[in-house]
Amino acid sequence: MLAGGIYAAVGVGFGLVWGVLNIVNLAHGALVIIGAYLTWQMFAAWGVDPFLTLPIDAIALFVLGYAVQRGVINRIIRAPLLFTFLLTFGLNLIAVNVLLLIFKSDFRSVTTAYSGAGLELGGLVIPYIRLAALAIALVMAALLAILLSRTRVGLAIQAVGSDRDAAQLVGIDLRHAYAVTFGLGAAVAGVAGGMIAMIQAITPTAGEPYTLQAFVVVILGGLGRVSATVVGGLVFGLVEAFGQSIPGSGSVFANAIAFGVMVLILVTRPQGLMGRLR
Amino acid sequence: MIGMPASRIWNRVFTALAMAVLAYAVLAPLSSLDALQSLGMPLLTDKLWFRLATITAMFVVMASAWNIIGGLTGYAAFGNVAFFGIGAYTVGMLITKARWPFLLALPLAPAAAAVFAVLIGLPLLRLRGHYFAVASLGVGVAVGELVQNVDFRGEPLFGGASGLFLPILAVPNRDLYFFYLMLAAAAVSIGVTWAVLRSRFGYGLIAIRENEEAAAVIGVNTTAYKVAAFALAATLTGLAGGVFAQWNVFVDQENSFPIGYNVEMILMALLGGTGTVFGPAAGAVVLQLLIQFLSGSLPITLQIPFVPDDAMPVLAQVVLGVLLMLVVVFAPRGVIDFFGGRSTLSIAYLRRSLRETSV
Repeated sequence: MLAGGIYAAVGVGFGLVWGVLNIVNLAHGALVIIGAYLTWQMFAAWGVDPFLTLPIDAIALFVLGYAVQRGVINRIIRAPLLFTFLLTFGLNLIAVNVLLLIFKSDFRSVTTAYSGAGLELGGLVIPYIRLAALAIALVMAALLAILLSRTRVGLAIQAVGSDRDAAQLVGIDLRHAYAVTFGLGAAVAGVAGGMIAMIQAITPTAGEPYTLQAFVVVILGGLGRVSATVVGGLVFGLVEAFGQSIPGSGSVFANAIAFGVMVLILVTRPQGLMGRLR
Repeated sequence: MIGMPASRIWNRVFTALAMAVLAYAVLAPLSSLDALQSLGMPLLTDKLWFRLATITAMFVVMASAWNIIGGLTGYAAFGNVAFFGIGAYTVGMLITKARWPFLLALPLAPAAAAVFAVLIGLPLLRLRGHYFAVASLGVGVAVGELVQNVDFRGEPLFGGASGLFLPILAVPNRDLYFFYLMLAAAAVSIGVTWAVLRSRFGYGLIAIRENEEAAAVIGVNTTAYKVAAFALAATLTGLAGGVFAQWNVFVDQENSFPIGYNVEMILMALLGGTGTVFGPAAGAVVLQLLIQFLSGSLPITLQIPFVPDDAMPVLAQVVLGVLLMLVVVFAPRGVIDFFGGRSTLSIAYLRRSLRETSV
């Protein structure tokens, strides 16, 4: 259930990019893992507390995301969806393999003095790190929601998302707005990655499942609103935990159950649990 | 050749070149026959040649099959590898568990894939755009996972994580046999594409791609057409999977449901030109050779200073990613566009395609 916080954090950035840019970003998992490696690198090399690395992840990934969008993705934003799919898959391939060249395929993990500590609650031990991750995910989602609804930049992003041409007519710089959107999505992914590094061992290829899960989370919640994605993430955490508790199945059906739920939602309620039809 | 546009000359040169390569590919394996070897013919083929050629033919089948649903109908299917795996496992199960002979089991591979495609196509093809793409991807992932993990009375039903070992087929010249079998499958896929493109069915699919509502208005039964196209793609892909199972003698989740195949077949179709008859096949040959070359499986390999040999496969993936980006950004209509005489490769062309799609 606590894993839902991570799913929400991964899903929020993915949903933002999808909703505004109309791009299903297959490199999202790679962005998450880049964030995870940044945290690991800072922790392992300089002993920085992993929680302090999260803002640095966010800034670094924002810059990277802004540059990628401005330099590459903006060039095909009006192409059919297959092209954006293939382009982001290519970006994913590049990112994952560059990470493989740098960090090799060894498992890395961030283990701090307080890693094992947890809150005891009637026989259950809830690790503090997971609790903190859930809290950070919720705060981050709230900040993003406020940014989108209360600031000039956020309103510009929303305008671009709902009508590109009209937004351009009222003087919004499309390229900049798109790049900021992708940068924000990448920043949130980076923070999620930093938290993932604290919870599980990471490898360069560990990001792929997160792309798929982010997609399921966004579908579950419904596209277009941050709060819906957060709900989707929490529900997904529950569904997954439920899947793992089926006797005899272990965790091997986790993906199959997740996708089963997604296909069911898509076919019966395409606007998502909380979404509105657009 | 005076008075002939340069593009048409190039068109002819490339057609001739393609014919020569095809003739070599089809005839060279015969040099492995004992009778010809004893005549002292130059040895043209070996194990490696067969492996490469058979895999290439396999991708020709998959890219052409994807073209029917992705290129003609315009539904970006990202889970076609499920059909390949179902074909492979159908043959694998029938041979190992039911002891069927291979040639009897083979026709059931495409049949099983087609039935599955109809079953999942009915709900999935109601979805559009991204939703269909990722839902089909989810099916591809989920089917592979189920096949590996479903138990029946405590025993893995489909061989589990250890996979299925098939008995080696006792035919003379096995390599030759499977190469020609896969080549026949490739020929069938290209032939089917050709026939579809000239039929009422094909026009219906193109109408759906261009505008689904309009197609429905002019009387195309869109649901039936879409499901039929999906099933046709599944049939061909399942056939490739069935041949692969007996050829490779071993099937497991990893070699029957590789997620990477989904993208490779799409990239091949895209590189060659979607919606055309020969485009996906040409793209499959070029890209497969490139992938093999980059990963160092060809006799000719690349030596790059400062890069250790074991990093080459990883670097090959980076190159593939960059290539993917360049094709998508600069040549969204496929590289074959340059050879068909419709457009010429020039800076102006690249700038135009860039301007059409960017903000």
